[in-house]
Amino acid sequence: MFSSLWWRVGRFVRTSPARLFLLAGVVVAGALALSGSAAPAGTTQPIAFNHQVMVQAGVQCLFCHNDALRSPSPGMPSVELCMGCHKTIGAGRPAIKQLADYYARGEPIPWARVNYVPRFVYFSHKVHLTAGGLNCENCHGDVGHMKVVEPVARMSMGWCLDCHSKQTNAPQLRDCVICHR
Amino acid sequence: MTEKISRRDFLRLGAAGAATGVLAGCTSPRRWVVLEPFVRPPEQQVSGVATWFATTCRQCPAGCGVIVRLMNGRAVKLEGNPEHPLNRGKLCARGQAGLQMLYHPDRLSGPLLQSTRGSREFSAIDWNEGINRLFQALAKAGPAVAMLGGATMSDHLFDLFSKLLAAVDAPPPVIYDLYTELGGYRTLAQAMGQVYGRAALPAYRLAEADVVFSFGAEFLGTWTSAVRYGVEYGAFRSQPYGKRGLLVHFEPRQSSTAVTADDYVAIAPGSEGLVAGALLRLIADGNLGLAGRAESARGLAPSLDVEQAARECGIPLEALQRLARRFADAEHAVAIPGGALAGSSNGMHAARAIEALNVVSGNAPAGVNTTPPDLGLARKSLNTFADVQSLIARMRAGEVQMLLIHSTNPAYELPEAAGFLEALAQVPLVVSFGAMVDETAVWSDLILPDRSYLESFGYEVVSPDFGSPVVSSQQPVVTPVFDARTTGDVLLTVARGIPAAAAAMPWDDEVDYLNQMVAGLPEAAYPASTAEEKRARFQQHGGWWPAPAVAAPTLRPQPFTVTAERATFDGNETDYPYFLHVYPSVLLSDGRGASLPLLQGVPDPMTTIAWQSWVELHPATAERLEIRDGDLLRVTSPHGEIVAAAYVTPGIRPDTVAIPAGQGHQDLGRFARDRGSNVVQLLGAALTDEGGGLRWNGVRVALARTGKRIATASLESKVGVTEGLGYE
Repeated sequence: MFSSLWWRVGRFVRTSPARLFLLAGVVVAGALALSGSAAPAGTTQPIAFNHQVMVQAGVQCLFCHNDALRSPSPGMPSVELCMGCHKTIGAGRPAIKQLADYYARGEPIPWARVNYVPRFVYFSHKVHLTAGGLNCENCHGDVGHMKVVEPVARMSMGWCLDCHSKQTNAPQLRDCVICHR
Repeated sequence: MTEKISRRDFLRLGAAGAATGVLAGCTSPRRWVVLEPFVRPPEQQVSGVATWFATTCRQCPAGCGVIVRLMNGRAVKLEGNPEHPLNRGKLCARGQAGLQMLYHPDRLSGPLLQSTRGSREFSAIDWNEGINRLFQALAKAGPAVAMLGGATMSDHLFDLFSKLLAAVDAPPPVIYDLYTELGGYRTLAQAMGQVYGRAALPAYRLAEADVVFSFGAEFLGTWTSAVRYGVEYGAFRSQPYGKRGLLVHFEPRQSSTAVTADDYVAIAPGSEGLVAGALLRLIADGNLGLAGRAESARGLAPSLDVEQAARECGIPLEALQRLARRFADAEHAVAIPGGALAGSSNGMHAARAIEALNVVSGNAPAGVNTTPPDLGLARKSLNTFADVQSLIARMRAGEVQMLLIHSTNPAYELPEAAGFLEALAQVPLVVSFGAMVDETAVWSDLILPDRSYLESFGYEVVSPDFGSPVVSSQQPVVTPVFDARTTGDVLLTVARGIPAAAAAMPWDDEVDYLNQMVAGLPEAAYPASTAEEKRARFQQHGGWWPAPAVAAPTLRPQPFTVTAERATFDGNETDYPYFLHVYPSVLLSDGRGASLPLLQGVPDPMTTIAWQSWVELHPATAERLEIRDGDLLRVTSPHGEIVAAAYVTPGIRPDTVAIPAGQGHQDLGRFARDRGSNVVQLLGAALTDEGGGLRWNGVRVALARTGKRIATASLESKVGVTEGLGYE
């Protein structure tokens, strides 16, 4: 199967060498499509969501990400929760109309993930916020001043250890299995 | 893929792949991970925290309790319910595969109409039209309605069907499927009725047994309540003070239970009753065992020549004598009649002879004496193949205007000689409630898909239970994945338009029915003060069971006789030299599991073959016919023929070939279709001597090579397992 494919590709290029560039273009375009990061994060969000406006209006992080204190996952607000306020607040704005459309169609909003910890890492928001005594901004930066949320740190193992290695009163926090279970 | 990749091609491919990889690796792949929040979150949903619901497994009729793990409202894992008195936290592979039944890509979304039967050209209609059509047909058909159901149907649904049929003066539902036939459910229950006066499926407590004689009972594979038997078996092998029970297994083919036995005896097909009769004779004549056993055996032992019987069964006389002594001397000896004997012509005789061994040892089975009938709950009663035959005769005579089919697949499960499809042609309207298009739905006019058991309500009076009554609860654990509707609600909607049915079925919906049922249950093992709490606890704990366990009354055997009947087989020895041993696949069971890729892909425990049909034959047979593993064989019986790959194994008698049931579907979704062969096509529609069972274990076959070969998808090499050890 593969040899006949390559024979065809070879013939495709041999008949006109200019086609080699076309082929290279296809490979590059394919790679970019696979990486999925050709555009910056802000523009890839389905709705131009502004964290700064929300925070300045006095909305606490935990109002929307309301599982952060009781679960490993902070939780993304349900469309229903958004609509709880935006049925009336800013109802005429284009972004809110977009939101209302999702709600009317009964479709989830496909948010692009901004902060990323690999799947093989056991990470719990609950522990960091309660026993760890951290605040959201310790890891996520000053989201209250971000129009478009961007990661402030590359959440690598070294970055985690920057903090974990300093916890002299809790040596277990330097153990591998605390995160790699 | 027959073409090979040259070294040069390989390097070219590698280079191109690496180039793409480098370009793709320039940035992190995290951007294409999409976060989808709920539109409307389920109640009390905490993101990232699992919720668990208790319900009942419906992959086989046993009724094990399961708990389902939900993440973000989606069912992601099934486990055994640790509180459930039947399976005690354990679950088998078939139970685990329940999730694939829930999310199956070929499940039907909404009702379908088929203008020409067998065309497979369905048109979607909406639920109102589907229910209207059912109602109009019911009103028109009057008493000429029939219902054919399977043993995995919830008991509440059976009750609703029964009430609806009774309201229109139609005969009660016929409950029959291949699974319970291959398990010998009905035959064994009838035998218990003759021996102990109550026809119920027996359950044998192995935990305290010293010696267990299993007569083809595949209790570690599929038989009746295999998961509970697994628990019992564990206790049986590790008893207090280091005691370890002894297991002797009699079967023509070495099953997964046979390989765990201390002593596996490959007896001639259909000779289980003869072995039991000979053992009784030896105990009686040799005055063997503990006090009173020989006298008891003298009253029951059939008149037979033990030497001749031993020859017929294929057991040396000395071995039989040793086994008789072992059984009689054991304080707590148990004999288990299996499913295979029920398919022999002498099935009832064999079941009585084996139960006589239990009468001699004084160990009556559990399950027959428990589940007080005063519970007042509707529960399914299984019908015999003879009942199905009389239904088919009524259909052929044009006495059935409308046939309702739920939880069974007769077009696949019944032998062609039964004439089901020809008779179906005489029925003007056939309604299937199947969740997928199976072989029977293809021959129906209207499909009203029921929800999967993880999406619907119900209850199951557990049978067999192991000494304590259990009513297992079934509840939806997820919001329905497809636009299917529970058949219970469909029936209640239809009943509103029929005055007699409306009076007999006064419930708003099936939840209302179940609430009333739970309200009538006696006090349970868990506390519940109000009626509302009782209902909530019933669902939370996964069912009802009493505390402490109700002491079972002692079973008193009634007078019965044991006779040594020989099994008869279709086909003469010259044209059909081999006995056919059919057995339910441990994973696909009677074929219902074939739709689930998990069960197709799990290797069979004995052969390690997956996704295929095979014929097990002895190395001596293989050598004589010059057959190698993977040779496609044409297996011919007097009733039909199938083609399947050869699997040579020493774990079978040289005069027997074994074929598992389960493959050979034409429908039932993409994973089952056009795969292997259906062994039922080799069977006739003859009845057993007594009890009206299908004589599925009474056919001889011939083998012929087709000249073709396939590679069997098996996990394990035989070298060092059965080859290279001198068996060849």
